[in-house]
Formats: sequence, structure tokens, C-alpha cells
Amino acid sequence: MFTEELKAFKRLGFRHVLLQVLNFASVIASGLMIWKGLGLITNSESPIVVVLSGSMEPAFYRGDLLFLTNPAHERYHTGDITVYKIPGADIPIVHRVLETHDTRRKNRSTNISSVADQLLLTKGDNNYVDDIELYQGLEWLERRHIVGKVRGFLPYVGYVTIAMNDFPQLKYALLGGLGLLALIQRE
Amino acid sequence: MARTKSQAVFKGRTPSPSPSDTDRPAGPLSIVVSPEDRDVVKVNNASLTELKNACDDAVKRYLSRPDLFKQIYLHTDVRLGLGWLSVFTAGGTALYGYKVDFEKSKPVVWAGLALYIFLTLVQTLYAYFIEGETVFVGKRKTFSKRIITERITLSSRTLPIKSTSPLLATLSSPLSVLSPSNSSTSASQSTSSVSTSSLSPSLTTPAYSLSLSYVRSTNGGKSLLAKGKTRSAQPYTAFFDEQGTMDQERFERWVGELVEQGMDGKTA
Repeated sequence: MFTEELKAFKRLGFRHVLLQVLNFASVIASGLMIWKGLGLITNSESPIVVVLSGSMEPAFYRGDLLFLTNPAHERYHTGDITVYKIPGADIPIVHRVLETHDTRRKNRSTNISSVADQLLLTKGDNNYVDDIELYQGLEWLERRHIVGKVRGFLPYVGYVTIAMNDFPQLKYALLGGLGLLALIQRE
Repeated sequence: MARTKSQAVFKGRTPSPSPSDTDRPAGPLSIVVSPEDRDVVKVNNASLTELKNACDDAVKRYLSRPDLFKQIYLHTDVRLGLGWLSVFTAGGTALYGYKVDFEKSKPVVWAGLALYIFLTLVQTLYAYFIEGETVFVGKRKTFSKRIITERITLSSRTLPIKSTSPLLATLSSPLSVLSPSNSSTSASQSTSSVSTSSLSPSLTTPAYSLSLSYVRSTNGGKSLLAKGKTRSAQPYTAFFDEQGTMDQERFERWVGELVEQGMDGKTA
């Protein structure tokens, strides 16, 4: 099946092979850079996440895609939907802010506390209790645990990611197919 | 030596073994290729990209033969260099962002992103302004009485189908409504070339336009011997049949004639 492609490569030379691989590699590179750039602009380490559980129904269902931003100088208010990660647990959790609280630092001369000192308590809309048990010993969430605030969403699109996580063969098959396509075609 | 273009593309022109100027090196038509050396080229003839790429590849293969020009890979190497550099900065930046905490990694990731955007911009500008439509740049050194250096540059593009509105055609010549349109190209086997400078208002099939510039000099490029610039276009149907197989001999003959015109110092 590959003999024709191999013959074509031999005929066209080494530079041609490098060019074809470059085509494929630069598609991946631009994807990576767009992702990193988006993260920098939104100030969030993962600006697009997939909802994995049903704890925010009927607002968000499993498989929804969420768009986040994390403005560094804005306070979070009760009612904001946040995504946070507890250090030690790897999964991001999407819940709503129930209470906010400001720390009071003793070495501050003024009474105005900065945004970074905000403490939050969250709860999923579809849960009976708040998230204290998920905090692994903490009483409040700190700003540094927050990945971002939900600004918008797309329903159902996240199922692709869920499927690729549950069936890793799908991920490799997709990558392999894309790679083959990019290597064979010429623009 | 003022030959018109239509006169140059006629039948029965012999390859030039005895040039009028004894310094003139051998042109491509005097070098014969046996049919067994060729691979069959078959493309999807509904795709203009594939047709153009097949023609470009044929030009490169034809002119890079041992007795003919040696290809200069400057444009390719610049594109490869810039491209791979940008891929590596992207990979490095992503790896760094993955290993280091988000907040701490921000300055480095900004720097990497800026570098990547800069490299991509330079690549795009280079390809658009400096490389342009160039397909082949070649050089040749021959040693007849003195060292003669030749440099040839070919660029190509596809001329898309263009048609005038039928209303205008009927208004301009009411009698010609029933007769075939006055475009100079008709599909299949005509060998007439479509000159882009005297473009008829209607082009019924896409055409491949090849432009060529040629310089012959000696003394390390200081004294100019000959200089020529030509351009010619042929509909794709002249080289590809219904299955998409390329008639390479015909294509090479056309390119060879064009190169010889350039070597003889014609200006388009």
C-alpha cells in the first residue's frame, strides 16, 4: 500500500520528505501555540474544559464544553460558576460560588484587601451539600486554586473528548489518520 | 533576430546543435530522454492544485538533469529552516508550560509565543514577497572557451477560467451568436499557445502559464553575454488526457522550446 508513496518520495528527494513532515509538524505546532496563547490571554491554565459529572444540572450536563477566563483583578461574586482544582487531586470541578470571604492580613496598613486574598465556598447546583468534603482539609478555596470563571458553553461538543479518554485507541487512531493525511497530501 | 512568439512555436524546429553564437551552451531540446527513464505521472485532473503540482514537478525534473541546470535550493532551505525553527520553539514552549506551574511559566511562555509569531510572520512574508510564484532556480557552468555561468528562474501559475457575459458577446456581434465564440483556445489537441499579454476575453479551460528569465554571463558574472525573458501559457488539456495521465514528452518539448527562446535572448 505504501510502495507508491515510497517511490514518489525517492523520486522527489530528501528535501521533499522534510517539507512534508514540516507540514504535519507545523499544524501541530500552531495548535499548541494557539492553546498556549489562549491560556495566556484568558489568564487561565486551561481555558476550555469539559463537564465530566452531572453536579451542575440543569445548567450544565456531562459532555458540555465550557469557556473560562480568570481576570486577575476582578473579584468573584456569589453566583459565579467557577472551575477549580484542589492540589493533590487532578480533576477540575465545576461548581457555583456560595459564599465569598476576604482574609485580613495583619501586616496590611489599610483595610482594603487585594483580590488575591479572596476565599470562596462552592456548591454544585445538583448536590445536596456544599463542597467542604472535596477540599481535602481546607476550609475555604483560595484564588490560586481557581482555574477560571465560566463565560460561555457549547452543549454536547465535549463528548468527543470524553470518548477519547475512555477509549484511548480512538485518540491514537485519529492522530494516526491525520498524520497520514498530512504526509500524503501536497499543498 | 526578431521572431514573433507565434512563429517560434511552429512545427519542424530542429534542436540547436550549431548555435549562431559559438558561446551558446546546449539547450534542453538537444538532450534526449529515453522513455524508459520516466515514471508514469497520473493525477486527478479535476484538481487544479494537483495539475499545477504535476507540471511544476515535471519542470524541476526536466531541468535538473545532469547535463542541464543544477537546482539552487535557496527558497526551499529558507522555508525549511524557518519552519523547523518555529516548530521547535512551539514544542519547547509547550513542554516548558507543561512542566512548570502556570503562574511561574508565564514570562517564558509569552516569550516563546512572541518568537513563534515572529518566525511565522517572516516565513509568510518571505513566501509572498521574495519567493512568489518561483518554481525552479537553476545554475549551470560550462567551459567552452571561458567559464560561462547561466542562471535561469522559472515561475508558474494557473490561469483560471474567465468568461465574458454572454449578453456582451451577443451585443457586440449579433451574427456571431450562432458561430463558436471567438476565444483562441479550444480544448484538446491544439498546439497554439495562449499568450497572456494578448489575453482574449474568454478562457474556457484552465491554463498553465510559465514565465522564465535567463541570464548568461562570464568572468564571474561581470560581463553579460545574453539575457532573456519569456512567458507562455498552455491549457492543461494539452498535457493531460481524460484519465489524468501526463504526456511528459509533449510538456518537456514545450518547456524546452521556451527555455531555448530564453537562451536566445528574447524578451516577452
